[in-house]
Amino acid sequence: MKPLSARVPALWMLGILVFPGLLSAGNEEQAREVLTVATWGGSYENSQRRAYFEPFTRATGVEIETVHYDGGVKALREQLASGDTDWDLVDMIQSDASAACEEGLLENIDPGILLPAPDGTPPHEDFMEGAIHRCFITQIVFSTVIAFDDRAFPGVKPDSVEDFFNLEDFPGKRALRKSPVGLFEWALLSLSVPREQLYDLLSTRRGLELASRQLNGIRDAIIWWTRGDESVELLTNGEAAMATGYNGRFFHARAMEGAPISVIWDGQLIGFNSWTIVRGTDQAELAEKFIAFATRSENMAAQANLISYGPARKSAFKRVGLHTDAGVPMRPYMPTAPSHMATAVVRDHHWYSQTVELREQWFKAWLQGE
Amino acid sequence: MERKGIAQTVYQIIAVTLVAIVVGGAASLAAIGFVEAVHFLNERLLISPYARVLAEDRPMLVASATLLVPAAGGLVVGLVVHFLVREKRGLAPPDAILAAQTSAPAPGLLSGLASTFAALVSLGSGASVGQYGPLVYLGAMFGNMVGRLRLNLRYQRSIAIACGVAAAISTAFNAPIAGLVFAHEVILRHYSLRAFAPVTVAAATGYIIANVIFDRPALFLVSFDRVEHSYEFVFFALEGVLCAGLAWVFMRLLRLSTNTARRYIGLPWARPAIAGLLLGLVALWIPEVLGIGQETLRFATIEGAFGIGELGLIIVAKLVLTALCVGFGFVGGVFSPALLIGILFGAFYGMVLPYIAPVPHSGLVVYAICGMMALASSVIGAPLTTILIVFELTRSYDLTIAAMVSVVFANLISYRVIGRSLFDLQLRARGFDLSLGRDKAILGNRRIRDYLSTEYTAASEMDTVGDVRQRLVNDNRAEAMVLDHQGILLGVIRLQGIVNRPAGTPAMAAAIGLFTRFEEATSVWQSMELLRGFLGEAVPLVSAEGKLLGVVPEEAVIRAYLEIVHDLREEENEAA
Repeated sequence: MKPLSARVPALWMLGILVFPGLLSAGNEEQAREVLTVATWGGSYENSQRRAYFEPFTRATGVEIETVHYDGGVKALREQLASGDTDWDLVDMIQSDASAACEEGLLENIDPGILLPAPDGTPPHEDFMEGAIHRCFITQIVFSTVIAFDDRAFPGVKPDSVEDFFNLEDFPGKRALRKSPVGLFEWALLSLSVPREQLYDLLSTRRGLELASRQLNGIRDAIIWWTRGDESVELLTNGEAAMATGYNGRFFHARAMEGAPISVIWDGQLIGFNSWTIVRGTDQAELAEKFIAFATRSENMAAQANLISYGPARKSAFKRVGLHTDAGVPMRPYMPTAPSHMATAVVRDHHWYSQTVELREQWFKAWLQGE
Repeated sequence: MERKGIAQTVYQIIAVTLVAIVVGGAASLAAIGFVEAVHFLNERLLISPYARVLAEDRPMLVASATLLVPAAGGLVVGLVVHFLVREKRGLAPPDAILAAQTSAPAPGLLSGLASTFAALVSLGSGASVGQYGPLVYLGAMFGNMVGRLRLNLRYQRSIAIACGVAAAISTAFNAPIAGLVFAHEVILRHYSLRAFAPVTVAAATGYIIANVIFDRPALFLVSFDRVEHSYEFVFFALEGVLCAGLAWVFMRLLRLSTNTARRYIGLPWARPAIAGLLLGLVALWIPEVLGIGQETLRFATIEGAFGIGELGLIIVAKLVLTALCVGFGFVGGVFSPALLIGILFGAFYGMVLPYIAPVPHSGLVVYAICGMMALASSVIGAPLTTILIVFELTRSYDLTIAAMVSVVFANLISYRVIGRSLFDLQLRARGFDLSLGRDKAILGNRRIRDYLSTEYTAASEMDTVGDVRQRLVNDNRAEAMVLDHQGILLGVIRLQGIVNRPAGTPAMAAAIGLFTRFEEATSVWQSMELLRGFLGEAVPLVSAEGKLLGVVPEEAVIRAYLEIVHDLREEENEAA
């Protein structure tokens, strides 16, 4: 082990020196090459386009094409089953990536491609814990939060997960993602289960039943969404009074577009997005090159200055400042801002990756009214 | 002189503080290690719901683990206890009490470690037993080890044991004040400043290690605003009374299960395995009975988590299976199961109450907590400790006062019906009866043999009255012991009985056959009882075969009593 770790810094140095050369070499030889990235659309994808895709194309000449992806392992499984997929990279939620890795749907990624921080800090110290995995490289911290339409509540404003389930004091439609993710955590949180015990309780039949019963209370008020930008739309066009959604999208709608949306940070669900390479792609090497490029501290910071998702590298977080276009300070909107962390729930990605089927069955049963 | 006195005081304070910190730190770290190890085993052996749900896709694996893990664990426990623990049973708080109260030798280190290992396997494999009993013993074990060092401190052993116990409880519950009070209330049974100061230091050490260094999560977290209606305190009191009844049922079941195991299963080491198998069978149907039941504990405070019938079923199952596991020899305590059964019963009571007394009340949480503490305090005989645990864990005054009412009523009843606690019942079965206070228990534990004198006048069955009379005059005594050639005591001759007899009469004719005698096992307390109405000089003490070992003068019995009581008063009243 020792000789290897001793050699690592030398490898980094080599990487830094050779990397630009590799990129420009690629530029000449592999013109009109295209990488296909499955990602989440909307303002999030726009931020990726500006921070990663366009600079990558400028540096290498490789075009990035995107296809829409709404999370989960199923979509990837279906792509691979069709035999002929053109997906090269997927921007996956960490728990999905973990499950997909175990199913053998992903290529291994050489951690040696990651570049050290500008001050020389090696990646394994710079990235947050658990970010570097054989199948994925975690890049951002995002949060699923509850937000509400300010116009719907002129008087007392909702400010807790409990209020989301309280139709009496806070009437109006509730927009929820049509997926067995987050629902049950919030259901139990609203019953004042402490966050430390959420996944222990959700591991029991009783815990899931309890969540079902709590959700029954708002069943008739639910509007389902699937695409990340839909939840923002449902709030802005007044269809829903409260909605769950990704904090970055709500930030974008509020700060950039002036939508009357407020975020309730209580019970925010912290999750992580990771870059993965689809098993069997013929451009695995190029995909790794892209990951190395997209996880450079400067590029990660550039994305965080466009949308309020926290970068998974310390050196990148230090570079987060004002919004590139609007000049709004970005740090208070990050899920990891200290004032938001007091009641945050960090999603147990191990639990998620092992309970895919259980959650899907539970959700189906609940949708059918048990 | 003055200077020497100061130096001695400084030495005492430093040494006592160091003892407290060392014992407290060791007990606390061991407690954390123990709890972590149980957690690890529960995960690996598919006992915890979290581990079971992760193996959802292999239902056969989960089912066979449910069935086999407790049985296999039971087998290991049975073998370890039978072959490695000298006492042939799990060591528990009663052993700690005994070690702190008497100077009798405590169980050895090997026994202690083997018993702790057996407790770890019991809890790890999902047996329905508690973790606090083994933790208390572990703390006492460290205390006992330090207690044996030659530090020249007074009451060193009992104080060091109390320190270990206080730190273990303080760590396990994250409740230093409860740990401090537990050590006094259950282990020491007095509140002298000499013990109070080091035990406080140990409890604080445990708290610092648990909370500041390791940041342990709390046992339970509930939110409760306040008791809405004053009449509810009547309900709390009634709940306490019902919990005392439940405690009585629990103790009866425990005795029944212990006796059943002894009567029907000849191989002692096979008993836990059989209990484990039965537990596994029930767990296939009601998984809540496995292990400590952290999740079930939490659900009990959530409105709507259980139906009434379901709750009743789980209470009965947990009650019976805990009695089964403990009675059949799994190593573990009864406190955590009592907490769980109590909280479930409290929730049950809170759910049934609206049907019986249809008036508004303040929700499930307060009734659940009251039931939990009332039952647990009756079982372990520690009302103050349990009240403080509620206070330290919830920091809610209202909840604490409600629980206090339940706890007090439960203890009022259970003290009279059952006795102070399960520990005291177990100790009484071993001949150490604390029910009439420490004085009696210790007087009953100390043997009068220690005050034996071999200064007596002997006579043989061949002697004549004249011989004996002369010998008594020579020895300046009024009593002679008549022995046969093997030394067996045949009778006692008193001077007043032979003064007027002819000298040639055989001595045996003048001997009194019915006289007060002590045996080897006679305690100081019994000797005092036996001396009632005694007129002679000294009481003969005989072996089981009837051989005379010596005599105990009346004065020695009084001396024994005074010495012991003086020691106790001194221990209880001395300042640090």
